[in-house]
Amino acid sequence: MRNLTLIPTLAVTAVALASPLAAAQKNGTIAQDFKLTDATGKTVQLSKFRGKNIVLEWHNPGCPFVRKHYDSGNMQATQAAARKKGTIWLTINSGAKGKQGHMTGPEATALLKEQSSKPTHYLLDMKGVVGKAYSAKTTPHMYIINKSGKLVYQGGIDDKPTANKAHIAGARNHVIAALNELNSGKKVSVASSRPYGCSVKYAR
Amino acid sequence: MKFDSSIANLLLAFLCFALAQPAHAQNKLGATELNVPARLVAESQQVQAGQSVTLAFVMEPKPTWHGYWENPGDAGIGMSFDWDLPAGVTAGKPQFPVPDTLLISGIMNYIYKGDYAVLVNIVVSENTPLGNLPISVKSEWLACTEEICVPEQDELSITLQVVGQDAAVSLNNAFNEYRAALPRPLGSQATFSASNDVFRLSIPLPASVDVESPYFYIKEDGIVDYAAEQKVNRDGDRLIIETTARGDSLEKISGVLKIGHKSGFSLDAAKGDVVMAGTPVGGGGDGNFTGGDDPNNTSLLFLALGGAIVGGLLLNLMPCVFPILSLKAISLAKAGGDETVVRRDALAYTAGVVIVATALGAILLGLRASGAAVGWAFQLQDPRIIFVLLALVTAIAFNLAGMFELPNISMGSKLTEKEGPAGSFWTGALAAFVATPCTGPFMAAALGATIILPPIAALLIFAGLGIGLALPFLLIAFVPAIRKRLPKPGAWLDSFRKIMAIPMFLTAIGLIWLLGRQIGTDALSLTLMFMLGIALLLWWYGAGQLKGAARGLATTGAILIAIVGGIFALPNDEQMTVQQQAVAATETLPSEPFSETRLAELRAANQPVFAYFTADWCITCKANEAAAVQRQETADAFEAGNIAVLMGDWTRPDPVISKFLEKHGRAGVPLYLYYAPGQEPVILPQILTVGTLTDLVNSRAETTDTL
Repeated sequence: MRNLTLIPTLAVTAVALASPLAAAQKNGTIAQDFKLTDATGKTVQLSKFRGKNIVLEWHNPGCPFVRKHYDSGNMQATQAAARKKGTIWLTINSGAKGKQGHMTGPEATALLKEQSSKPTHYLLDMKGVVGKAYSAKTTPHMYIINKSGKLVYQGGIDDKPTANKAHIAGARNHVIAALNELNSGKKVSVASSRPYGCSVKYAR
Repeated sequence: MKFDSSIANLLLAFLCFALAQPAHAQNKLGATELNVPARLVAESQQVQAGQSVTLAFVMEPKPTWHGYWENPGDAGIGMSFDWDLPAGVTAGKPQFPVPDTLLISGIMNYIYKGDYAVLVNIVVSENTPLGNLPISVKSEWLACTEEICVPEQDELSITLQVVGQDAAVSLNNAFNEYRAALPRPLGSQATFSASNDVFRLSIPLPASVDVESPYFYIKEDGIVDYAAEQKVNRDGDRLIIETTARGDSLEKISGVLKIGHKSGFSLDAAKGDVVMAGTPVGGGGDGNFTGGDDPNNTSLLFLALGGAIVGGLLLNLMPCVFPILSLKAISLAKAGGDETVVRRDALAYTAGVVIVATALGAILLGLRASGAAVGWAFQLQDPRIIFVLLALVTAIAFNLAGMFELPNISMGSKLTEKEGPAGSFWTGALAAFVATPCTGPFMAAALGATIILPPIAALLIFAGLGIGLALPFLLIAFVPAIRKRLPKPGAWLDSFRKIMAIPMFLTAIGLIWLLGRQIGTDALSLTLMFMLGIALLLWWYGAGQLKGAARGLATTGAILIAIVGGIFALPNDEQMTVQQQAVAATETLPSEPFSETRLAELRAANQPVFAYFTADWCITCKANEAAAVQRQETADAFEAGNIAVLMGDWTRPDPVISKFLEKHGRAGVPLYLYYAPGQEPVILPQILTVGTLTDLVNSRAETTDTL
């Protein structure tokens, strides 16, 4: 099982290093393609979803800021809103082995069930290759890719950078707002914001 | 197995989080299970209505934990404050101390590792009634280790007393330390540019201000790539920082320039054009420094080495070195016939020069590493060393003048005249030691490079300086054509030698001047008495030589006693501080050091007072001083108007001055105040002219007239 997951990871290493990192994270450019293994062992490639809006969510179940949005049900609600419009939701865990929040496939599957979280795929990026290619800094850190594969949003889930659940109610959910704008053919009005949360626990 | 350990980690993380939650309820009761516990402390329990009081959030992170600066960097969260204040009471903006960088796997964090204090000014309005003043604040902050983060919060409260205008207000001295850790406002505006992914910031900072791995902490998000390396250049009175840009959406930014441990300046910058210019200084930030294998450093090394060799070569022409060298050169030529002897002597001489230059360099690097702010010729900051050097130079001068001869068998400095390689070695050592005060200005650049090069490379530069100094000798020794061109020794050599005493005496006068600035004229006179004693001893010794009397031993002993006596007669540090103030008094506009007591005395005596506050790193201050304050017209006008001048130097953080500035609504220098007798002080503009200052006297004359 482990050896099988290693092969696509190596393939991704090659893909991600082929283009300069800075270019991959600019809004309006084609989002960096990647291949990762999901919690069930399936290989998932980003470019296969071309034609649909895609949300990338960086995740660390031990991070209090992530827990703020899962324990309150805010992230699940955001997922549901996205799903309703046919948006693909990829939750990515770039936590290195031995670091806080690192998950194996079965652990992740159990967690999703426990939290009623329903991403399209829960992707394991323990070497941090995809995280670093996207310059994912925090958990959560959100990216939205439009139907033509271009990056249209990157930043925080909302505009209240705290770990306090009470602050969700009054916050502007940047992801829902951006998806609504995309679906009604508008330009994303807030295309970037400050991501907030714990640092991604990359392998050194 | 792996499965289990991951679960354990996860559980641990959840546990940490779970523990953090009820902490809020408990720490109000005094429990201390927070990882970065906070205490709310007031500078004084009492406050007068219409005044302000400073509160401190004293944060004490547990080992391995850290808190965040107002801009946390790539991840993390700054601190939030939700005040509950009585009517008429307002809280100012929190002031954070100078932070540190923490780079983990390419993610930059702006943090505090040890204890730190965030200060907030509380202003109490005029009509606040006397009595209790309860202050309460809900604060949230993020506590992290390098592995995990825990949001923490606490409700902190303190009860102050509003007291009458005459009541005593006692101050908590811990606040002096808290304030010293805050960045000080630079006073002059910086300029930044952000285009094509390159961010540049040009900061006005006098070239004389020492900086140690400078780093710019930006307050606004989205402008720079926090994790990118910051290249720092110095170009005259500007410090230029270049790093990777993230965006250019702002016209104004602000931040903190860190220039040393817990030391930095807060500044604002407006958008403009910035080009990279000047010379690089040490790598920015912790852990960003690249070693000697960096190609830039390698070329820097060669450049600096070349500069050092040329500089050393030029040193040969300096008045303090030329006499020794020219005579030595001729003595080498004297041995002209024997090629091997000449070469052996030249190599011994070179060894002496290189070893002393490298040793001085090693001591310099050692002192720097231990934190002392020293430059080349650092040994001349110690009056004892100047005194010994003065004795040595004077003795050499008298020797050249022919007052005495050196015997062939002797010890100490006389080794220089000893025949053979040992004598040549000591001549070289002496030349290198004596030459250091004469380092040319462009040598400074080469030596400056030693600060950012790895120690081995830096020592190579010092050795290069020595090689440059010894180069003429090597040429004379190894190129017979040059040697043949040297004049043949003869009767003229004796006259030449006597003439060479002149530059040596000039060097002695230079050292006397230097010593006088450090120890004052009283101590200098005493020192010169010792010098006279030494001269008389040498004279007596020289007279003995003429008569064939052996007075060597007695003279050596007596001179040693004189030198040791002279060293002990030198003033101590305290007297030297007094002297330095006296030196300050020789400026065009003399001033007294500022103190509130002195100000009150002068005011009580009905004398008008001009008080100014300056710092060596403040370019506006220096410009004003050159253009308006230290001017003869100003000095004359102030003398005519009998205006007392008080000067507050804020180059080093001084709590008395900090508080005084704050009282006048200023966070930093410059501040110019004029106190007319019996009137409220007038704050003068930040850009001064001679007219502004001379008008003070004129307007005073007018008010006197109308009275």
